[in-house]
Amino acid sequence: MNVQYKPKRNLLGTIFQVEILQGMALTLRKLFSPPITRQYPEEKPPMYPGFRGQHALVRDPLTQESKCIGCMRCATICPSRCIHIRCEKDTRGKEVLQSYSIEALRCVFCGFCVEVCPVGAITMTEVFEYASYDRESLYFNKDALLKNWDKFLDESGHGEDYVNPFWRPRGLPEAELPAAQRMKVPEDWTIAGQFIGTNLRSPKQKITDTHTEEDHA
Amino acid sequence: MQILIILLQIVILLAIVLLHVAYTTYFERKVIGHMQVRLGPMTVGWHGLLQPIADGIKSFFKEDIIPEQADKPLFLLAPVICLVTMLASLAVLPFAKGWVLADINIGLLFIFAMSSLASYGIILAGWASNSKYTFLGGMRSMAQVISYEIPMGMSLIGVMMLSGSLNLTEIVNSQGGSLFSIYLFPQIIGFFVFFVAMLAETNRVPFDLPEAETELVSGYITEYSGMRYAMFFMAEYIGMMVMASIGTVCFLGGWNGPFPIPFFPPFWFILKVYGFLFLFIWIRATLPRYRYDQLMELGWKLLIPLALLNIFLTGLFKAFF
Repeated sequence: MNVQYKPKRNLLGTIFQVEILQGMALTLRKLFSPPITRQYPEEKPPMYPGFRGQHALVRDPLTQESKCIGCMRCATICPSRCIHIRCEKDTRGKEVLQSYSIEALRCVFCGFCVEVCPVGAITMTEVFEYASYDRESLYFNKDALLKNWDKFLDESGHGEDYVNPFWRPRGLPEAELPAAQRMKVPEDWTIAGQFIGTNLRSPKQKITDTHTEEDHA
Repeated sequence: MQILIILLQIVILLAIVLLHVAYTTYFERKVIGHMQVRLGPMTVGWHGLLQPIADGIKSFFKEDIIPEQADKPLFLLAPVICLVTMLASLAVLPFAKGWVLADINIGLLFIFAMSSLASYGIILAGWASNSKYTFLGGMRSMAQVISYEIPMGMSLIGVMMLSGSLNLTEIVNSQGGSLFSIYLFPQIIGFFVFFVAMLAETNRVPFDLPEAETELVSGYITEYSGMRYAMFFMAEYIGMMVMASIGTVCFLGGWNGPFPIPFFPPFWFILKVYGFLFLFIWIRATLPRYRYDQLMELGWKLLIPLALLNIFLTGLFKAFF
């Protein structure tokens, strides 16, 4: 192995201990630089759109109920098996949600349930301050999950039809998404924009939204 | 009547020094915090200004734990030795012309004696706690004190030779009032040796081996808690202040400044001591701890020869000019 040592210092450097003086100069410079501390409870951290926080069931603005259709996809894909759903067929033979619960203590916050939901019923909000002294309050049933959604809307000030482009799976063209996930996303949220490291690829490999947009049109 | 006045002076001095100790800890935490791009204490009072008071109250009311296997009398005595010797050395410090409790002719020797005695407190604390960490801390302190007392004493011999006195007031007076007559310039080698030995003597970074957190939990104070811990803490900070005062008196011209301050003659003295304290803290924020053998090597192979060289050069200077 080749180790690059610092050049040997000369006599003057030894007498004046140049390295120590350099270190002292650094600390003195930092003394007058603004501190990076965030005074947390008073000063909240900035929230990024892909944040995976507390779970919530979206309250449908039309029915004031959950959008869930009981397809069991979230419960199936969940790696930690923390989603429990029970549904029954009603008289017309349509699946009706009986209960929906998430054990937040077992959840690994991967967000798969959110990506896989065909109707955009389950979401992960930007709420992260819900620590508790007992386990029961972290075992969210359907009502609690709907309340989480209300709380999130209250705190963030979003409208009740709020959607987040991060709640749909990455890298799929619009056409391949379920209808509910072809959501009203801002213009700058292209599929290419959702790839990490797109700018590093060669132009040929770049994925664009153009053909899917034509399909829609 | 005379005794009453002296008692009053002692009480005032103690109150001021202890307040300084409290706020030196605050200052240290703030400065080191900002040097590490943090904020330091912020919650208690405006920008954490009441933090030292809160710390004082906390340590005063904490449980005083004495380990079962400890040598109880020595365990109780050790912090008292530390604190009392450090407080005693305050008596001979001249803060301004005539502002000194005991203007004795062996002031410098007295300070040496007291700071050596303080290390007895540390060694006894290490021994009496009957724990391996405290014991190692005490042993290290002993070795460190033996190695660094010598260069420290010898570095000040140059000052004694130039001023011809051990009386601290005399030393300040013999330096005169101007910037260029202070002993820092003729005694620059002595000052360097004194400064390094001062850091080692007060157990400060980079020579804080007796309380090396990474190896010895907190060294000799591992088993102490509550008020006794606070006494060690106070002793350390008073030691810092005493050593800074000695540096100010012997090398920086004591209370003499560019112009006299009316009504508050110790102004320049205190400013210089604050400068020293800032330097202590600045070094703590910058340097890592010495390895033990390097510490010994520095003391015996570098500082003592340098101090001897300084005495020799000062003697030559005195003989020929």
